[in-house]
Amino acid sequence: MAERLKATKEMKRIMRRYYAQAKYAHYIGKKVAWITSGGPVEPLIAMNIIPVYPENHGAMLGASKKGGQLSEFAEGLGYSPDVCSYVKDDIASTITKESPIKGGLPKPDMLICSNNICGTVLKWYEIQARNFNVPLFIYDTPFVHTEFTEEAKEYIKEQTKEYILFLEKVMGHKFNYKKMDKVGRYSLQSMKLWKEILDTAAHKPSPMTAFDAFFHLALIVTLRGKKVVLRYYKTLLKELQERNTKNSGAVDNEKYRLLWDNLPIWFRMRWLSDKFANHQAALVADTYTQAWCGVIDYIDENDFLGTMGEAYTRIHLNVGVDKMADTIKDFIRKFDVDGLVMHSNRSCKPYSFGQYDIQNLIKDMDIPVLMIEADMTDDRKFSESQVEARIDAFMEVIKEKKRTK
Amino acid sequence: MKIENNLALFNKIASEPYDYIKTLKEKTNKKIIGSTCTYTPEEIVLAAGAHPFRISGQSQNLSAADAHIQAYGCSMVRCMLEDGLSGDLNFLDGVVFPHSCDSIQRLSDIWRLNIPSLHFDILLPVKLDSQLSQNYFAKVIRRFKSDIEEALNTNISDKDISEAIHLMNQIRTAIGQLYTLRATNPSIIKGADMAAIVKASMVMDKKELLDELNTLITLLSETEKKNDTRKRILISGSICSHPDIYQIIENKDAVVVWDDLCSGSRYFEGLISETENPYIAISERFTNRFVCPAKHISADFQLDNMKKLIADHRIEAVLFIFVKFCEPFSFDYPDIKNELEKMDMPYLMVEMDQHNRIDEQLHTRIDTLLEIMQF
Amino acid sequence: MITLGIDIGSLTAKGVLLKDNSILEKHLIQVGYNSKKAGDKLLAELLEKASIDRTEIARIVATGYGRNSIDFADKAVSEIICHGKGIHFLLPDTRTIVDIGGQDSKVIILNAKGTVVNFVMNDKCAAGTGRFLDVMARAMETEIQYFGELSLQSKNPAEISSVCTVFAESEIVSLVAKGENREDITSGIHLSIGRRIYSMVRRVGMVEPVAMSGGVALNIGVIDALEKLLKTEIKTSPLAQYGGALGAALLAVNE
Repeated sequence: MAERLKATKEMKRIMRRYYAQAKYAHYIGKKVAWITSGGPVEPLIAMNIIPVYPENHGAMLGASKKGGQLSEFAEGLGYSPDVCSYVKDDIASTITKESPIKGGLPKPDMLICSNNICGTVLKWYEIQARNFNVPLFIYDTPFVHTEFTEEAKEYIKEQTKEYILFLEKVMGHKFNYKKMDKVGRYSLQSMKLWKEILDTAAHKPSPMTAFDAFFHLALIVTLRGKKVVLRYYKTLLKELQERNTKNSGAVDNEKYRLLWDNLPIWFRMRWLSDKFANHQAALVADTYTQAWCGVIDYIDENDFLGTMGEAYTRIHLNVGVDKMADTIKDFIRKFDVDGLVMHSNRSCKPYSFGQYDIQNLIKDMDIPVLMIEADMTDDRKFSESQVEARIDAFMEVIKEKKRTK
Repeated sequence: MKIENNLALFNKIASEPYDYIKTLKEKTNKKIIGSTCTYTPEEIVLAAGAHPFRISGQSQNLSAADAHIQAYGCSMVRCMLEDGLSGDLNFLDGVVFPHSCDSIQRLSDIWRLNIPSLHFDILLPVKLDSQLSQNYFAKVIRRFKSDIEEALNTNISDKDISEAIHLMNQIRTAIGQLYTLRATNPSIIKGADMAAIVKASMVMDKKELLDELNTLITLLSETEKKNDTRKRILISGSICSHPDIYQIIENKDAVVVWDDLCSGSRYFEGLISETENPYIAISERFTNRFVCPAKHISADFQLDNMKKLIADHRIEAVLFIFVKFCEPFSFDYPDIKNELEKMDMPYLMVEMDQHNRIDEQLHTRIDTLLEIMQF
Repeated sequence: MITLGIDIGSLTAKGVLLKDNSILEKHLIQVGYNSKKAGDKLLAELLEKASIDRTEIARIVATGYGRNSIDFADKAVSEIICHGKGIHFLLPDTRTIVDIGGQDSKVIILNAKGTVVNFVMNDKCAAGTGRFLDVMARAMETEIQYFGELSLQSKNPAEISSVCTVFAESEIVSLVAKGENREDITSGIHLSIGRRIYSMVRRVGMVEPVAMSGGVALNIGVIDALEKLLKTEIKTSPLAQYGGALGAALLAVNE
């Protein structure tokens, strides 16, 4: 097994510092905004507001194996056992303060919710708006089944203006357009860098796996628009490029290359990584982390504010199933994968419904597809022996296919 | 006698909607446009000379749908898909998918990819709290109008729309009158019949519907007001049209006097202004009427709405009937139930595995709530 | 006055004859295929057991899954209400009843007067019911009557799924294969069902004192697990299984 990426240590330090700043924001006279993972964070950075991501926190809760426990607590309050575990975990953590961050997430001064990832976040943020009694802004991105209509374009553009007005009202001062211009450029640059990083995995052997990507994703999600993200990703990119030069793969003797679809199973990353590595299989790419560099073409670096609406509306999760299948085909070709692993994630309907049809739509790629039924944070919804059996069977199919090719 | 006949018609159509539609199509040769949500602007469909109807998801056993939507999808969505894939909806010329929840959103894609027919996505806003979103709403309706004109190769005049609006307003007023009659004199009509009327309203030829509704209102208005001491129940949820639920309630000395349902009050509440620009007027109705949990007016809307309904209709218990796996409704529930507890209002939440089937477990739970109230 | 309470479950039917506020006679039979026939059979056998005539019974209340098929009953009342009434009679002061049967489980909250004010049921899922323990006992090759005892011998319970019987069973097979301690696995199983019930209790809010009824009340391992999770003493009665029928008979008095 290849050594851990050296950059990881620095990444952890940056995230620790970020959360510490968020925690003590009020002491240093800053305001905190809770924002959804697909939400427009750049204007917040331009206004010196500290963005906090309950979903990123949810991933941490999942990784620390608290997901099921916290969901159970929320179910005791009356929340259904069948609804999104990110929401339940957040509600529970807000009450119990259970969290890898001491004291849990800092209280928000405002809530920013974009439904480009799903409609459930609307309900989540409504609950927290009632709970914290703070202003809520909704960035309503119309769904793009087959086309991005003129009226939708206008709607989101006008909402960007509404968003600015909202921030001005909450902060009590004018929006800093000059800073916004800088932040917009940094954001776009960091998305491009992230793309370069993920692209290094096209090399055979791949210098990183999806599990590395899941980990390093945190920066582009939480601090997009800040210089620190650029510095770090440049370092990470260099290290990955060096590995490629030396043909040093993340997985020893990489023989099979796989694509992952849907959110990670946060509480079983290590286990899954080892499991596939033991089969000499590397998960070289995934649709989830790719989402943070999938809309670069829609952003004009000279007019970030004016074009970000369309970009945020066209993300992978906000487009039709057939469009998602096309993207997956592109990845299959680009990364030359031998198989597709689809996480059928109980908590995420927009990502999971349509997976069966995607399987159909990519039939001409002629690669085996594995479905893993689980949840991204709730460890109660995972059966290790069943998943193990499926992975083993899937790898057998792949091996056989490659043998006879 | 007359009332019986009238109710029998509604019940027949409600229990066999697809048969009715097939006959209607044969007789009139109208284009049949199915919808998946009450946010469908039926007026536009009518103005296009087509017949709108709500796909009910009546399939009992799922097999085809399983190949497209996982088991953790709600039965409404899975059964509608099953209806479509099984061929039961072969008479459909087109389907309308207003943007509502995540599951309907994906159902639209899956339907479009697997079931050949005209397909209309109405990309409604989720936010309904600003002039901007209302303007956008109106534009989306306008686009739907052009889309359906093109698809059906027809022309929709301003007169066509205003006539359709007028007709639908009359229908809404009529159903509202029936609801009010029932709320003040519950013994006047059984809950199962009321649910059948609303369900049939989403299926029937609108002119025929209006005639039958008006006939019924006249007949019922002649009925004496009885003193009714049964417990007054409010049903809250999305779809609850299975007649047995009402029977179960009425067997225990209680009666449903109002509801907060997509298959109930949300279908008919609110009128469309007949003097304003029709697209704005249609969107205004949707933003002014009680919104369903998949849309946003304010963080406190559902709570305030609940309190208002309780006060307006002298409610003595609230029965939440949710379909399993439904996110929008189940996320609103805990905060609302906490409020009800503070008010000392009896309540019960039941989850239906299948919206079109009542099982013993549901029966027992509802019985227990009503018995608790008796003892 | 003599009243009769009949509890027709899905596996067993129980009857209790009540005279002047004390139990005159009780009886239990297997239900089989037909609830109605089971009801008739139960009545006949109970009358014989008590040596009384049908005409001596003033009123009859039926409860349980098959309550609506008992045509000779004067009234049908849900098993939650009847259970509440019956357990309150057997263990006065009880405010929370945890009933775990073969096929379902319920938590019932009583007010100070012993009337049901709230409840929550699990009647659609094997996890959290006696069925769960049956399946696990089989997987552990232990007889169900010794299962509870075995669990008490553990010092380090294993973590077992509480949301799905099939998941739990496959977890056990893995643990057994890995050579894990039998007592620890068994204790994990009991904690698992305990957690499931604890979750239900939290939804309605526990009020002490707590009593347990239903077939699983005989399992000391489950009682122990629940006492640990709820942090309270759990009482039970040897007549707990008849709680529903007793409650029905008591309700018949006031009819």
